[in-house]
Amino acid sequence: MRDEIGRLSDELARDPSSLVFVPLGEALRRQGSTDLALKVALRGLERHPYHADGHDLVARIAVDRGELERAHDEWDMALRLAPQHVGAQKGLGFVCFQQGKLAAAEEHLAAAQALDGDDPSIASALRHVREMLAGHSTSDAQGSTVDASSDATEPAPAPSSPSTSSGQAVQSPPSSVTRPAIGEPSTPSSVPMLAEDDPRYLFADLLGTVDGTTLLLGADGLVLAGAYLVEGGQDVAQEVGAALSGVSDEARRATRHLDVGDWSSIVFETEHATVSMAPTAGDNLVLLATTRATPLGLARRLLDRCAARAVAFLGGGR
Amino acid sequence: MPFDPVLETLTRHRGVSAGLVVSESDGIVVEARVRIGERGDRVAALAASLYRKARLSAEAAGLGGVGFLQLEAERGRVFAVGRGDLVLVVVAARDSNVGLIRVEMLGALERLERLA
Repeated sequence: MRDEIGRLSDELARDPSSLVFVPLGEALRRQGSTDLALKVALRGLERHPYHADGHDLVARIAVDRGELERAHDEWDMALRLAPQHVGAQKGLGFVCFQQGKLAAAEEHLAAAQALDGDDPSIASALRHVREMLAGHSTSDAQGSTVDASSDATEPAPAPSSPSTSSGQAVQSPPSSVTRPAIGEPSTPSSVPMLAEDDPRYLFADLLGTVDGTTLLLGADGLVLAGAYLVEGGQDVAQEVGAALSGVSDEARRATRHLDVGDWSSIVFETEHATVSMAPTAGDNLVLLATTRATPLGLARRLLDRCAARAVAFLGGGR
Repeated sequence: MPFDPVLETLTRHRGVSAGLVVSESDGIVVEARVRIGERGDRVAALAASLYRKARLSAEAAGLGGVGFLQLEAERGRVFAVGRGDLVLVVVAARDSNVGLIRVEMLGALERLERLA
């Protein structure tokens, strides 16, 4: 294990933008170094905010730390980024079960089974949850309430044996996580929104493997869509958008006085990123920030695609 | 004229109508090679202002200092790259070779830095 961690650490040191942060974080997590694992994972996500396995890793670390809400958020994000992510479905099933949301747990586990029908742990967990749900229905029909304490003595299902995209097996969250009292069963409306409904992920699929992020800013500098995540998972889109949106006013002024027609884009290379902007419908602005390693021509093409997506979004389509 | 070789090289590129070295803080022309019809002082003031705005905004957003900047419009492009208080500005037609101009301008940075 130590050898593996050392090897992966060296690899990450050689290439900080490498995706090796996922297996390294996982190895650290397995070793019990959850603080260090979290640090590695968050650093990695800073460079690869749309990497589903990175969010999956943070979720598993969060479970180890007993932070179920955070685990839920991270798996939810992983699923938005990669709707076919079995690990995220299983993880959400696990969290929902731990939170007593049996209907939602069943939904996630069923989705996980549909994606990976060969995983016996999913089938077992799903069967268990369905048995519990059937028990709930009987109790409800008899007008009795669910006894949280007795429910909590039930063994937790094993919904979370997710695999990373690299094929590496990942341990289930520990069963030592305290399960809170059983609450109301989840209704479908309480299941997290799909990616296509969340404006924060409006551009995620367009960027693909490119390290970067896109924001759609209103004429007033407020964020309409997109996200800008930094270390710690914090979304600083509003701050970045507010700081950079003023450049478009200056661009408009310059092109008007230079008599070269309306401006169509502005690109500037900074120490940490290449920022590309383009005006879009209704005085709104599309802002694309990519790493310096991204070729300028590619960034320009991505900007065009994001602008087209923004127009469709603003027009009510996509 | 210290920047003459740089500006001469840049203004020889296809589609380039102006090459200027400008003071970022006040938008005053330090040195210029401008084709007939271009208003050098106006270009200098506007480009310096745009570059300064981009630099301050990028710093405010935590992205660090600004290097190369490119503004694209319906009928032309404006390029700028700065070091210290000096900004090297090029105005070109829409069909100009962006890659070549960018390389030339980044190459001129060292000279700009020496004289900034």
